[in-house]
Amino acid sequence: MRRSLLVPMVIICLIFGLSISGKTNPRQSLAAERPQKLVMTAIPDDSAENMREFFGLIAKHIENTVGIPTEYVHVSNYAASVTALATGQADLAWFGAVTTAQAYIMMEDELEVVAARDIDKGFIGYFIANADANIPEVSDLAELAELAQGKNWTFTFGSKSSTSSHLMPRSFFTDQSGKNPEEIFRTVAYSGSHDVVLQKVANGEFHLGALGQPPYDRASDNLKEKAPIIYTTPKFTNYNFSTRKALGRELIDEIHAALMTLHESPEGKKALEYLGSEGFVDADMSEWMGYVNLIRSGIDIGG
Amino acid sequence: MYRDIDLSSSSLNRYAEKRPWKHWAAIVTIAVLVIAAFYAAEWDFSSLTNPDDRKIAFARMLAWLTTFSSPDFSPEFLKHCWALTLQTLSAATLGITLAVILATLLALGSSRSVIIGEEKAQGWMRFIAFRSPSALLCSLCRLVQDILRAIPDFVWAVILVAVIGLGPLTGALALALNITGILAKVYSEVWDNIEERSYEQVRILGGGRLATLFYGIGPLAARTIQSFTLMRAECAIRNAAVIGAVGGGGLGADIWYQIQFGAWPKVTTLMIFTLALTLSADLASNFIRRQLRSDPNHPRVIKSKSIHAQVARPYIGILFALSIAFWSVWFMGYGDNAPPGQQSRNYLEPAIKLVSTDSWKNLSFFERLVKPDFDLETIGLGDQVKVKEFKKESRTVDLFSSYRPWEFWKPSAWVDWEQEMQKWFVWRVIKSSAIPLAMAIVGTLLGVIGAILLSYPHSLAFMLESSQFTGETHPWWIRGLRFGQLAVAKGLGLVSRGVPDVMWAFLFIAFFGPGLVAGTLAIAIHSLGVLVRVFSESVDNIPYRRFEQAFMGARMSCYGYTAGPICWRDWMTYSFFQFESNVRTAVVFGIVGIGGLGFFFTFNFEWFRLEKAGTYLLMIIALTIIIDRISRALNLARKSC
Repeated sequence: MRRSLLVPMVIICLIFGLSISGKTNPRQSLAAERPQKLVMTAIPDDSAENMREFFGLIAKHIENTVGIPTEYVHVSNYAASVTALATGQADLAWFGAVTTAQAYIMMEDELEVVAARDIDKGFIGYFIANADANIPEVSDLAELAELAQGKNWTFTFGSKSSTSSHLMPRSFFTDQSGKNPEEIFRTVAYSGSHDVVLQKVANGEFHLGALGQPPYDRASDNLKEKAPIIYTTPKFTNYNFSTRKALGRELIDEIHAALMTLHESPEGKKALEYLGSEGFVDADMSEWMGYVNLIRSGIDIGG
Repeated sequence: MYRDIDLSSSSLNRYAEKRPWKHWAAIVTIAVLVIAAFYAAEWDFSSLTNPDDRKIAFARMLAWLTTFSSPDFSPEFLKHCWALTLQTLSAATLGITLAVILATLLALGSSRSVIIGEEKAQGWMRFIAFRSPSALLCSLCRLVQDILRAIPDFVWAVILVAVIGLGPLTGALALALNITGILAKVYSEVWDNIEERSYEQVRILGGGRLATLFYGIGPLAARTIQSFTLMRAECAIRNAAVIGAVGGGGLGADIWYQIQFGAWPKVTTLMIFTLALTLSADLASNFIRRQLRSDPNHPRVIKSKSIHAQVARPYIGILFALSIAFWSVWFMGYGDNAPPGQQSRNYLEPAIKLVSTDSWKNLSFFERLVKPDFDLETIGLGDQVKVKEFKKESRTVDLFSSYRPWEFWKPSAWVDWEQEMQKWFVWRVIKSSAIPLAMAIVGTLLGVIGAILLSYPHSLAFMLESSQFTGETHPWWIRGLRFGQLAVAKGLGLVSRGVPDVMWAFLFIAFFGPGLVAGTLAIAIHSLGVLVRVFSESVDNIPYRRFEQAFMGARMSCYGYTAGPICWRDWMTYSFFQFESNVRTAVVFGIVGIGGLGFFFTFNFEWFRLEKAGTYLLMIIALTIIIDRISRALNLARKSC
């Protein structure tokens, strides 16, 4: 009795399954034409509210200029944004240098950098210290390492996959002092994002921290006072908008043009103010190849 | 479920001959584990012992408590919270619904008593998976469920992004996969715990495997399964931080962020919403349970006069549960489900990608995750060219170069061997599991002890309805006093489990600094809250007739000598399960800065060093499997004695 039911059931399931999988994926069939909508995402280096607001404005600008509905999807995980672009689930992504390199390692030539901010070609990061800890400004990080000897200081980076709040500060520290931060500080933690680093250093949860320039600059004076800068890093390349070549030359050019004119629309202006920039400039993947090589060389990134 | 005592003389004789060495073994094992936990990981108590640190810690605690009393009730933020609450509820309910279905199917395969049933193989033979095809299927299903729950839900979410893209559905599915693993384990374990004698009539009358499940095992296990499913649903709703990780919003992700940022007024508001959600989930699950309660002797049963109302009750309960499930699907697809400041849209659409082969190809993106890096060259295996290269740089493990094996009695030999082993990546992976294990062992133990103590005032049977079995009639003020005790205990339980464990971790990190102490306390408090609920529920599920027979004048001793032993098996099953889930929580705590296995895993995962992440993941899975098998083996042992 049971077996006689089982066979037709399996057959019905199979037919059903085949009929569904037989349908072509709407997204794929339209790949050659213009997609019906663009999905934009970004690495979460600030609060969700802020990012939804200002990247939403950029999405709106692109939508108005290119004429394709564009949606900003906020993720709270760096790896999720890289995965989304690399597997074609997102079309446009705001990456830092590290995430660009990570995406490049996955996608190779499929990745195209559309544009970067003017400040991204000469980006700087800060080392900050809690005001009550009485840590003086230092001229280089070897001096900081020396000061930290036997002090049991604690240190926080931003996210693990961040450029300006982890990789670059770490590599400057290692280059200049010859030691890993883990060997110098009692605790080396990853707080998650730039604003959290500032907050945690300001309220004394950590003695020291590292973060990028724009998040520090737009913070309130009160916070800055509690967490003064003790060291400014040399310049390095950072954020950009990346996309997939599968979108087609024409569309990528249109997006590029839209980003170039961001400062002309009122919503674009507002977003640029938040991003701490005058406007977007041309950029090419070759400018980020240094990071790709750095990561491929198996650099010690803690962990 | 309680067991009937077998009074046949042979079993009594056997009982008299047996010495309780197993209990001693258990106690000694626990003691050894606790000592090992303190020895293997670095416990930094300086925040408690150092007066300066202590002062800072208390000042911070006070500052936070004062800001806690002034939540942010601006209309904008309230609207924001309400939107997040609905999102969380719909995604979590969807996840749970899927998980219940999948878990039931999986548990059919992984429950020994369902798929294998009675067999000739006894004792150690039962550990061999290849003894029969159904035994093999059983171990395979167990492996699947172990992997499902061992992999943290945020990893599932990132993997699913490759298949169906960003959005709350991805989070819900990730949650579903994770909870499937949890529920399937519990279902199969509860089914296996039912005494075979209680359902052997079904077998004798010729019932097959499924008939035994539906008419024998199922009904006997139904109440436990029902409470656990509802409890898990509540947990999922509260802990659904994963939904935000991949673009879905939700309360969990926002709390996580705001806590880190120290925006305490906002956190307080979000917490109030979370607690309200927990409370309504609690009330809803109680409602469903009451409708489905089938023990006519239980005083909490609703005694309806009319036959229509009696017949209608289970339908009402099931309809209510179904309507919540339908609401979650409707909301995600067609409701006003926009994240704050965005347009609402149909988030169910990406589900179509699940059935198109193209999207599944994207999984090859994570292919390297299943090729873990065992660093064989370092121990002289694998590619011999590389081995030579490594030898030149003296990066290979040369274990007995300075100390020979027979010099094991020298402490310095062990230090040296350890340092040599340190070069091997896999050894470092294994060692990194010491931190989550240490946190989970101490935390669970504290939680279990606390829960056993708190279950007494937390139980309805002993606080409000004791007159049912003691025969006393109390003046109003004693009843009032007991009601007060019950309310306080319930409140404590609700707060300690209603506040997500990550939130507790952050709170304690603020007092004690990031480290094992903070993580352990968070685990202890959260386990206390979760366990006290299920512990006291299993006490309340005992028919009062059993108390009546054993009652000797004091409620407390009745609790200790009757309720405790009857529920002990259930309690231990729950505790072991809690321990296992605490190990996973501790792994997650690693992600938020406490270190150990979880930290290294996410580090490598987020840097897409997937081979290395794969090795750490293998370790997490191995931990889950080892603990699961031990807990099953212990149940077996108890059955045989």
